[in-house]
Amino acid sequence: MSGDVKKVPVGCGHNCGGACLLIAHVEDGVIKRITTDESLPDSIEGPQLRACLKGRSYRQRIYHPDRLKFPVKRIGERGAGQFERVGWDEALDAIAQKMLDIKEKHGPTAIMNISHSATNCHAYYNAACLNRLLNMFGGQTTLESYVSNDGAVFAAFHTYGTVFTANEREDLLNSKMIIMWGWNPADSIWSTNSSYHVALARERGTRVVAVDPRLTNSAAVLASRWIPIRPATDAAMLIAMAYVLISENLYDHAFLDKYSLGFDKFRDYVTGAEDGVPKTPRWAEEITGVPAGRIAELAVEYATTKPAALVAGYGPCRVEHGEQFSRAAATLAAMTGNVGVAGGDAGIQIFGYPIMTKVMQFPGGYCPDNVSVHFNNWADAIIKGRAGGYPSDIKMVYSVAGNTANQLGNVRKADRALKTLDFMVVHEQFMTATARYADYILPVTTQFERNDVFTPWLLGHYIVSSNQAIKPYGECRNDIDICAQLANHLGIEKYNETSEQEWLEYLTGNAGISDRDKFKERGFLKYELERSHVAFRDQIEDIENNPFATPSGKIEIFSQSIADLQKPDVPPIPKYIPPKPATEASEFDLCLVTGHGKKSSNSMFYNLPWLRDVEAQAVWINSGDAEKRGISNGDMVKVTSAVGATTLPALVTERIVPGTVNIDQGIEFEMDSDGVDVKGCSNAVCPDGHTSTAITPYNSTRVCIKKP
Amino acid sequence: MQFAFYFDQTRCTGCHTCAVACTDWHDLPAGSVNWRRVITYEEGRFPDVSVSHISFSCNHCQHPPCIESCPENAIHKRPDDGVVLIDEKKCIGCHACEDACPYAAIQFRPGNDSKAEKCTFCNDRLAGKEPPICVAACPMRALDFGPFDELSKRPGIAGRVVHLPDCSWAKPALIVKTK
Repeated sequence: MSGDVKKVPVGCGHNCGGACLLIAHVEDGVIKRITTDESLPDSIEGPQLRACLKGRSYRQRIYHPDRLKFPVKRIGERGAGQFERVGWDEALDAIAQKMLDIKEKHGPTAIMNISHSATNCHAYYNAACLNRLLNMFGGQTTLESYVSNDGAVFAAFHTYGTVFTANEREDLLNSKMIIMWGWNPADSIWSTNSSYHVALARERGTRVVAVDPRLTNSAAVLASRWIPIRPATDAAMLIAMAYVLISENLYDHAFLDKYSLGFDKFRDYVTGAEDGVPKTPRWAEEITGVPAGRIAELAVEYATTKPAALVAGYGPCRVEHGEQFSRAAATLAAMTGNVGVAGGDAGIQIFGYPIMTKVMQFPGGYCPDNVSVHFNNWADAIIKGRAGGYPSDIKMVYSVAGNTANQLGNVRKADRALKTLDFMVVHEQFMTATARYADYILPVTTQFERNDVFTPWLLGHYIVSSNQAIKPYGECRNDIDICAQLANHLGIEKYNETSEQEWLEYLTGNAGISDRDKFKERGFLKYELERSHVAFRDQIEDIENNPFATPSGKIEIFSQSIADLQKPDVPPIPKYIPPKPATEASEFDLCLVTGHGKKSSNSMFYNLPWLRDVEAQAVWINSGDAEKRGISNGDMVKVTSAVGATTLPALVTERIVPGTVNIDQGIEFEMDSDGVDVKGCSNAVCPDGHTSTAITPYNSTRVCIKKP
Repeated sequence: MQFAFYFDQTRCTGCHTCAVACTDWHDLPAGSVNWRRVITYEEGRFPDVSVSHISFSCNHCQHPPCIESCPENAIHKRPDDGVVLIDEKKCIGCHACEDACPYAAIQFRPGNDSKAEKCTFCNDRLAGKEPPICVAACPMRALDFGPFDELSKRPGIAGRVVHLPDCSWAKPALIVKTK
């Protein structure tokens, strides 16, 4: 043993929204410890990129006894989880042969690419490698939709003409008021240092209020007031706040006149001139459960405390008609003149600083023969194919960096769909819920075993140098190298003739890395901004020369582009639309929300014993709801919806609004012989399918809950 | 000089990063000992609910009851910085210190021959002028460390572990800025 410890910077970024720095302490080729950014100074202007508990437990992930070490081939029934070890050449030969066969008989779109988001901060080693392979192979069926935030994206495009709608986090320090609306950065992260910036703002005197069905860890600690609200009713509360601003003449007429289009039509709806129903706080109280006085009070406070940031999470738009929440929040931001100003917020948070101008991602390319289906219809499309109106008949599924069977709605349908396949290939680090169905599972490296550059996901003006700390684990290979080797077996030429180092130099060509060795040693490069990044600042400072990217050049409260879509359930001004009445209303008497807990990033990390010690999976239920059902804290309960059921322990708490239960999403399913999940997977009860605006409406799922 | 921890409860979101970082640095097995713990308190009834978290470890008391309890003199308080350390070689695993500690900071792994263990104030890191791992880890910068006398001047309650039974006679070296 040499005893020398080498400290290697490695990135951590897995679709939690953060891009943090880990430092691997390597001794004799083994990681002995993991620390985080300890570079000095740790200042408010340039805070360290400190990792959360998930990043800190990465050592257990790398060396987990269940980590896949070599390729395996299915030997039992599909989905039964029985596999045997095979060699790489044998696996790649068999996969190539089968792919050529399927292409010959059914065409290339018989292959569905279900890759997802686990590596989407990674410039080089991300899921685009499979996209590239299948595009060069002649086509594929791809999956469309963001799953997380389709409502926000729809609203952003139609209201602002862009998805670059967010201010950078440090701009919260300029806010006099922050409303965390369905936003829980303490657990869900949403970019490194998010919670820290809210705490700093509050310490400088900023008023922080949380509107949420749950007293989340963010609401409990960062906010001075929690306003509990029934899920899927947020748009009604925002619209009633608009009523207060109109009736008390507290809105910014000049701002609306200069920068927005169609406020008069919205005003007519709000006041009831359009439909005879004034959208008063009393009207909203009935819907939201929030006392009318509280709604009016928040409206006045938001309108008179300037600047104010209404920071909207994605949970409230992951419901039926969820785009109305984002549209209404943007309208309120415009009514209060908080768009495009430091300390404000446009009401929709998607991209902040355009980090993609600094670092490109490995190109997946394009194939004109590709067809696509909505992500949350992936299983339905496999089952029904062309006969069901889908563009292809799927025979094979291929997955890289994703766990689609677990992370999309209706896992029972996923189970049915995957069992109809002829063939399935998965690149993985673990035997995930999805991998269990594969014919071949090919073991892949973690970022500790390769070199890459990471960018923040939505917000953040820095990049992370992620360096190889250890040799690939077992026989693991990099995703891109597997695809390149498979390309050879498929007879595809020129899939990748460029080395890792050359790619990284190319992808970071505009990153302004003056000293590459120093970048790698330090682990990050921060871009100094002259002033805090504020979305739409250019538009507000000079609208004549910098119009909004909408058809009218203004913030479109009324959107002709929405009207032109002619979707009967999507009005061209923001409205509250009640969910369609459930046919089984009496049975499913509770609404489910699916939070992002601290113990996992989507389906990653919860298999680590250190994290299981922190928090066990449970369904949150209000004490009153629990008492009515004879449920005590810790009881095993069965949660049932129209699509399926899951069993897990109950967490009886005062921290959730009555009538609502919460199951943190991301826990991997395991079904008993009746098809009931026994692990507490939220997608055992959340539906597949989508709204007309492509939303996966998980947070308006109706459920019932009882002791089994 | 007496080293102490400073804990800002107004910032702690109960994320457990401090505890996991401690566990990784000191290579502690899961399901066994936790040198640093985070406990969450929920009070009130919906909708008037309040939640607070507290992160704490061995408090390196100024009058450590564990030292007096040990029949083998295996525990000592370092004179220059007040850090309380256990000499594993002297420990006979009698659990007397575990009973004596009012904060359950001294723990034993499962098994008959396990020895007493607890927070060392990251003795090894201190030697290299690095802060304890929990302090360096906290994403909210809610934890700090330094001389007890200096930290006592900051806002907070010194020498008592809030939420836990009042054992201020032990003079725990902890300052808590309460929520």
